[in-house]
Amino acid sequence: MLRKYHIVAIPIRIVVNTFGDHNPNGRIYVLKENEQKAKDLVKKNPFTPVDLIEPLTIRANEGDTVEILFENQLNFAAGMHFQEIDYNVLTSDGADAGFNPDTTVNPGEKIVYTLYATREGTCFFTDLGNVSSTEEGSSVQGLFGALLVQKRGSSWTDPITGRPLNSGLYADIHHPFLPSFREYAWFFNDEMEIKDLTGNNPLNPMTNQEAESFHGVNLRYEPATNRKRLIDEGVVCPDCDGEEVHHDSWVFGDPATPILRGYKGDPAIIRLIHAGVKETHVFHYHVHTWLSDPSNTQSEIVDAQSISPQSHYDVQPLYGLGSLQGAIGDAIIHCHLYPHFAAGMWGINRVFDTLQDGSQCYPNGEPIAALQPLPDRPEPPRPTLERPGFPNFIPGKVGLKAPRPPLGIVGGRDMTEMERNAAIPNARPGAVFVDPCMEDPAVVEFNVSAIEMPLVYNKQGWHDPKGRLYVFDEELDDVLSGKKEPEPLVFHVPAATCIRLNLTNRLPHVLDGDAFQLVTRAYEVGFHIHFVKFDVLVTDGANVGWNYDTSALPGETIQYEWYADTELKAFFLHDHLFANAHQQHGVFGAGVIQPRFSQFFDSRTGEEVDHGTQVTVSHPLIPDYRDLTLYVHDFALLFNKDGCPIQPPEYPGSDDDPGVFGVNYKCEPLQFRLGKDCDPAYSFSSYVHGDPVTPILRAYEGDSIRIRLLQGAHEESHSFNVHGLKWSQERKDLNSDTKAQQHIGISESFTFEMEVPYSGDYLWAFETEEDVWLGTWGLIRAYDELVDDLIVLPDRACLPPRSKPLPTKTGKPPIRANPQASLPPYAFPGTPVRKYDVVAFQTPIIYNSYGDHDPFGIVFALAEDVEDILSGKKNPEPLVLRGNVGDLVEVSLTSMLKKELFPYPDGIHPYPPVKEQAFYPPSLRISLHTNLLDYDVKTSSGETAGYNLDQTVGPGEVITYRWYVDQQYGTCAMWDMADLRNHRSFGTFGAFIAESRFTSYHDPYSLQPVKTGTNVVLKHPTLPDTREFVMIMHDGVRLEDKNGQLIIDPKDGVIPEVEELEVDTYDYGSRGFNYRTERLINRYRELPEMSKLFSSELFGDPATPIFEAYPGEPVTIRLTNPAERRRAHTFHLHGHAWKFDSKDLDSMVQSFVGHLVAGQTENLRLLGGAGSTYHFPGDYLYRSGNVRWDIELGMWGIFRVHDKLKPHLPRLED
Amino acid sequence: MAHRSNNVNAAHDNALIDHFFLGIGHKVLVLSPSYPFVFIGEILGVADDIVEIFVETTHFPQLENRSWFIHIDNIEVFYIEREGAPKIPKLNDMC
Repeated sequence: MLRKYHIVAIPIRIVVNTFGDHNPNGRIYVLKENEQKAKDLVKKNPFTPVDLIEPLTIRANEGDTVEILFENQLNFAAGMHFQEIDYNVLTSDGADAGFNPDTTVNPGEKIVYTLYATREGTCFFTDLGNVSSTEEGSSVQGLFGALLVQKRGSSWTDPITGRPLNSGLYADIHHPFLPSFREYAWFFNDEMEIKDLTGNNPLNPMTNQEAESFHGVNLRYEPATNRKRLIDEGVVCPDCDGEEVHHDSWVFGDPATPILRGYKGDPAIIRLIHAGVKETHVFHYHVHTWLSDPSNTQSEIVDAQSISPQSHYDVQPLYGLGSLQGAIGDAIIHCHLYPHFAAGMWGINRVFDTLQDGSQCYPNGEPIAALQPLPDRPEPPRPTLERPGFPNFIPGKVGLKAPRPPLGIVGGRDMTEMERNAAIPNARPGAVFVDPCMEDPAVVEFNVSAIEMPLVYNKQGWHDPKGRLYVFDEELDDVLSGKKEPEPLVFHVPAATCIRLNLTNRLPHVLDGDAFQLVTRAYEVGFHIHFVKFDVLVTDGANVGWNYDTSALPGETIQYEWYADTELKAFFLHDHLFANAHQQHGVFGAGVIQPRFSQFFDSRTGEEVDHGTQVTVSHPLIPDYRDLTLYVHDFALLFNKDGCPIQPPEYPGSDDDPGVFGVNYKCEPLQFRLGKDCDPAYSFSSYVHGDPVTPILRAYEGDSIRIRLLQGAHEESHSFNVHGLKWSQERKDLNSDTKAQQHIGISESFTFEMEVPYSGDYLWAFETEEDVWLGTWGLIRAYDELVDDLIVLPDRACLPPRSKPLPTKTGKPPIRANPQASLPPYAFPGTPVRKYDVVAFQTPIIYNSYGDHDPFGIVFALAEDVEDILSGKKNPEPLVLRGNVGDLVEVSLTSMLKKELFPYPDGIHPYPPVKEQAFYPPSLRISLHTNLLDYDVKTSSGETAGYNLDQTVGPGEVITYRWYVDQQYGTCAMWDMADLRNHRSFGTFGAFIAESRFTSYHDPYSLQPVKTGTNVVLKHPTLPDTREFVMIMHDGVRLEDKNGQLIIDPKDGVIPEVEELEVDTYDYGSRGFNYRTERLINRYRELPEMSKLFSSELFGDPATPIFEAYPGEPVTIRLTNPAERRRAHTFHLHGHAWKFDSKDLDSMVQSFVGHLVAGQTENLRLLGGAGSTYHFPGDYLYRSGNVRWDIELGMWGIFRVHDKLKPHLPRLED
Repeated sequence: MAHRSNNVNAAHDNALIDHFFLGIGHKVLVLSPSYPFVFIGEILGVADDIVEIFVETTHFPQLENRSWFIHIDNIEVFYIEREGAPKIPKLNDMC
């Protein structure tokens, strides 16, 4: 079927809330049929949101051809680029890429794009005519939308009227033989220009400084600051403070942000789309859970999901709206990054239990719009006076804070008559309107208090004088007296358990002020939980919409009830009332739902326990294991031993990345681990410095372990890496990819299940540069013989008694490891050996033809290439080694580093910066670490960690690592571990590619066998010849221009030039692919036309790799990001798609890789080969999805699919 | 060839049916690829190629203490507890 849409890009004022905040320079896509109406409405309503001014959402069915007539009414050339859909790149790319014809159009012009909707799902679109990250740009100012492709045969109607719908964020989708469902499009966007009612930049009434930048949903936002003003002015709720009622509809009415409406049990899909330009957000949806990959039933269940710019996911709540328990009420949906949440990035999913025909009103008199029941579901009961349905049975008062829940507060009130009518028959504290605990399950009860006490983070005296945390009541005295070290609260329960938790608020009424924060009357606290089943009205631990305020006042105890219906991961819990004010002080914890019938033991004593960050779990049927919980947290507001604040913000109350980081309330900064030799190569060594104060997760060789990874606070991405171990990405799925790294954002939870094959110290680290610098690392220690304070897993044979003493700190570096003394765990004698001689040395790296270069580059190269590189004959590229499954790879590494070739003789590395700069001179030692491969961590992991021996080499020394290729991992990231601070941004990284057995590697141009390279042809006796492109996406690079001037990116690369730029430490540095960058500013200086900057006709090809193929040829992209900054990137390849999980045929299809950070490894097998399904030739951009600031800074290149045979490039054999 | 193959399949199925038939009254553990994946209980009977088990324990307590009818083709792993042989572990909530 052919569908046609006429779409116009228009400049328009976007009013984003009822307070009159607006973007005077907004740009949106709108259907031609709505264009005039939208303009007229905006003219008539200059300070009120207009429904048509929203991200354009259109629909089609699988198999449709969609013809878009695009008309440009903006004052610059623009277009529409679509993701996840097939099109001819020469006619419908919406860009001027490479040698393709320009498919953007000038102002006043039109173009037709033809799209082939091959697959169901979200096809995000935006403009590539103007990728400026400033307010001059297009995407940043609102120019985006989505084509939602439905299953073949679907139709869609307006949820209010039931009539057919041509466009709109919300629709009811129907199908002849599939259930109807509610479809909600949810567009996050950030950093858009915003003015207040007066036309000035909005101010924060707490700090009197400029408010946080725009973070919104569907071009709306509802910041706390506006609502706070109404309290301060005495308009509403005079006894409130602000944050605790930010989401309270009783006080303020409903927000301007989306309210996704449905009836209990309705099937629904939220099309979650990140249309913003910069931040990686965490989407969290209360009450509900969903499969992280909706097409794979074995994928992880999540209730919070990180999402980075220009990526998207389907959120399909399991059991429909209200989840398994059928909860009614308001379930808030928000970005969990607290500054974003406070800035207004939230909305509500409102689940009704009575029919809404348009005749009802909310408690404040606002009419409730009609909501058509889904045609294949029973109609909900009509509201009556006795049973009016949610929210009208709740005894609140408009203008005041939401009422407290019935029954739940100890000593509190009973139900009113209306509440009793709405309640379940056996209403009880924490479960009044829905019964989460089905059929009389086992019950456990916990008593927990929220307290304030100082928390000491390390031996150097870094501390939080106002630490706030949850503590079990029975441990209160021990924790307060110092007998028990405080740690984040973690309790363990078996699946199918009903949990009753009594929370007592013992916090001071006031969170005192200091260099970080203003005095805040944080007088309420709650216990909001993730994953488990509960009654959202009375047990959310929050204050949302027309629900109750389910928190405890000072001295008060509130009772909650939850049900753990099945084995889950660790479930996150935290305060939701003053979270932005005090969660970063430690107000977070977790429950772990273990397999049913499990028992838990103290790993030291063997006593049965029900809580703790490290326990031993025993089960009658499945293997016993160690259970280890790690919490990373940022915005840790610490003071040093002298009482000086560490990294305070510019002014108290600023959310501009205050403080430092921790793991389980501890940190071990590298600056304190320099030693007498001042050599960073031994910073992780326990021989030199003793063990870190951060968690050491203890086990015996051969033990099964499960790591529960969570993030407790507050705004930033982190990258968890474990050296020497790995896990299945989808834990339940035998077809899953294997990983050794995980990106995490606040509130996410992951479980990594693995075995520790050998004894030794395994480094775990949040391994972006600034994180590890500030101390977010520790060890997994596996013993080979018995130790007194670690029980043996109950189902394992006893270990041999200790025959030698445990190692202790000596203050001296350990001796050199001998990798030849042992085989990797899974290798066997006689394994074929593949050898590489690698040299690490310093050499300038030319990053592009404009003269941007790194004069201090440090690279790894094969010994035979060193001379050519040093003589300038070869411009180096990151080292890529390969091996086949079954190979024992022996890599001999030699260091040729010279002290005089490092740029900073004073030992402080000023750019790109990190927080808490300190003396930390460069190491002349170097090493090679790879993730995923199999090796003995004591000899071949590449780092000198814990009580492992030295695995680095100094100048002139050689070490020969032994790595066994035990699986076809594809991409393995590779980097130096001797000095993460001084080496990695200069280029000490590469990749190892683990190929199938019997594969040979060939030069793509000569087809001669090669040993290394980023671009090869793989040949295999039984598999098709395949082109393999290795893309190493890296940031934090220190470049100089052709005149030797240091380039300070991002500022020096922003188009148009800006006077000032607010930049976080982790955004500094240049970036690109494979030691190359095509910074757009260089091209712009030659020709200042934004839409032309990707053109090879005008500028020649970019310096970044041009990967070439012929239509239909098999192509695999090996993508990794071994270095080094915390800002997560999105990768997107135009016109192509691949399976999210390359090993799993059930996996979802996508054209992007989200939240790329240090250590991540991806394998992208292009579906349909080069040119995708229809084998269209042309130039396809590969690039970052971050408009701010990756694309301007050169993170893009071209994948060229030739239509005709080229003399330099032989075709692959069929 | 095809005929022989059928015989083997039939013999395999018959042997399984006989084995379960002889296990009537005994405790059994069954793993199945289908929801709810695990069953522990007493074999009550065998009708054609379907085994009836009074399930004391499965993955979800809400599905316990009732008879389940399981087709033998849907049994991937099983263990019938007999005298003198290892016992199926006792599984108790909140043990």
